[in-house]
Amino acid sequence: MELFFQFLSNTGYYLADYRQIIMIVVGSFFLYLGTAKKYEPLLLVPIGFGVLVGNVPFFKGFGLGIYESNSVLHYLYFGVTSGLYPSIVFLGLGAMTDFSSLLARPSLMLLGAAAQMGIFFTLLSALALGYLPKEAASIAIIGGADGPTSIFLCAKLAPHLIGPVAIAAYSYMALIPVIQPPIMRLLTSREERLIRMPELREVSKQELVIFPVAAVLLCCFLAPASIPLLGMFFFGNFLKECGVTERLAQTARTAIIDTATILLGLTVGASTQGDVFLTPKSVGIFILGAVAFSIATGSGVIFAKIMNLFLKEKINPLLGAAGVSAVPGSAREVHLVGQAEDPENFLLMHAMACNSSGVIGSAICAGILWSFMVVL
Amino acid sequence: MYGLEAISTHNGWAMAVAGVIIVFCGLVVLSSTIAQFHKILRLLNGGATDSQNGKDLRWADGTEGAPASDPTMKHKLAESTRQFRLVSDRIGEPFPLPKLIERAELSGLFRPHSTINDLLKAGLIVPDGKGYFFWKQ
Repeated sequence: MELFFQFLSNTGYYLADYRQIIMIVVGSFFLYLGTAKKYEPLLLVPIGFGVLVGNVPFFKGFGLGIYESNSVLHYLYFGVTSGLYPSIVFLGLGAMTDFSSLLARPSLMLLGAAAQMGIFFTLLSALALGYLPKEAASIAIIGGADGPTSIFLCAKLAPHLIGPVAIAAYSYMALIPVIQPPIMRLLTSREERLIRMPELREVSKQELVIFPVAAVLLCCFLAPASIPLLGMFFFGNFLKECGVTERLAQTARTAIIDTATILLGLTVGASTQGDVFLTPKSVGIFILGAVAFSIATGSGVIFAKIMNLFLKEKINPLLGAAGVSAVPGSAREVHLVGQAEDPENFLLMHAMACNSSGVIGSAICAGILWSFMVVL
Repeated sequence: MYGLEAISTHNGWAMAVAGVIIVFCGLVVLSSTIAQFHKILRLLNGGATDSQNGKDLRWADGTEGAPASDPTMKHKLAESTRQFRLVSDRIGEPFPLPKLIERAELSGLFRPHSTINDLLKAGLIVPDGKGYFFWKQ
């Protein structure tokens, strides 16, 4: 009988505390959003399930928890803390990305730069709220709306915040259809939303092959700290475009990125153990993340309107909202908001150009912030 | 420490301004560089037009877009065409692309965005000029 009671006292039912129950509810909500609502299911399903796994109560010292040095989850988590998974995800992203729309209209790249304003505004806000500089930089990068980049920078600067930063970044990426359209409509008039973009010129194969080589050199010479992300990103793109490594590109954009996404999502979810996750700091990170994402969207739209003051051929300011690097969610929202006004207005390919420059922009920002923090 | 004092102490203003300037400069330089690509390539190719370049430099058999000379790719495109035709038959022609993507996702087709992009590039799906698309017969 004593053995039975001893066993009972070691079960999750006995050890559970309210914070773990709250996190299990949060994890279930993510699973609901991912499966029933189809909001970014490839991200929310692994993260949501990871939250469930990470918050099952257990007896400390058994080597079960993600923060216990000899646990299986801890070994898998090494891919997050070392920045390995984000780099692999970027390799796959590069192998998926088609830069032809960006090459056809390079000026749209400026919208990808403008949308990074949210990062630096949030950096200031987080410092003002009392976060330490490295923590502030890790929170600010959420404004880039790029999950792997946020995790990468946070792992380097403030590993204790990876859980809340990753959850905030991926949550806001999943909530793009909720967050972005009201901001887009608020900042643009109907006439502006009706602006049609001219058809893009045809881009030659040579341009597509040379682009990743030129881009990796230009960007990484400017911000060498972004090599782990942009180096892999453009390498993946070169595999896709060079025409002789289709098999490698195919593997990078399927098996490799899928494996990294599964392990990244599951371990990030599992890192959100109630006792370390539910803190006032996490609440602050969520609020600042929402501010960062909203400002990023708004600054892209406003910058597009400023560009229109100088351009003969006006661009649709909605495209500015796609300057955040949430690919392809924000491009799709831009397209849908444009089509709500004019069903024959096709903005998707133009928005993808801004989106892919947003990926480059946010990775450069991560490199810049990392460099700044090393100096501090 | 909080507020403006915290920002000043941690050098926040300088970091924000420098960060914005660097990321803008980086992307301006990159966009200016890639804006010159096709002009430089045209010069190097003896003044041929862009579209000629595109065809010359794409695939040896002169087809646009996907490497149709690659039998694997040819087979993939044929298979994708067959699957997406089945989906589009339910919508009817001409069809809007978002609707096709939505139906394809519901049908569990693999990476519909990327596949439709390949079909567009290969000229198998063509725009009708009014915002809708149809299959090239």
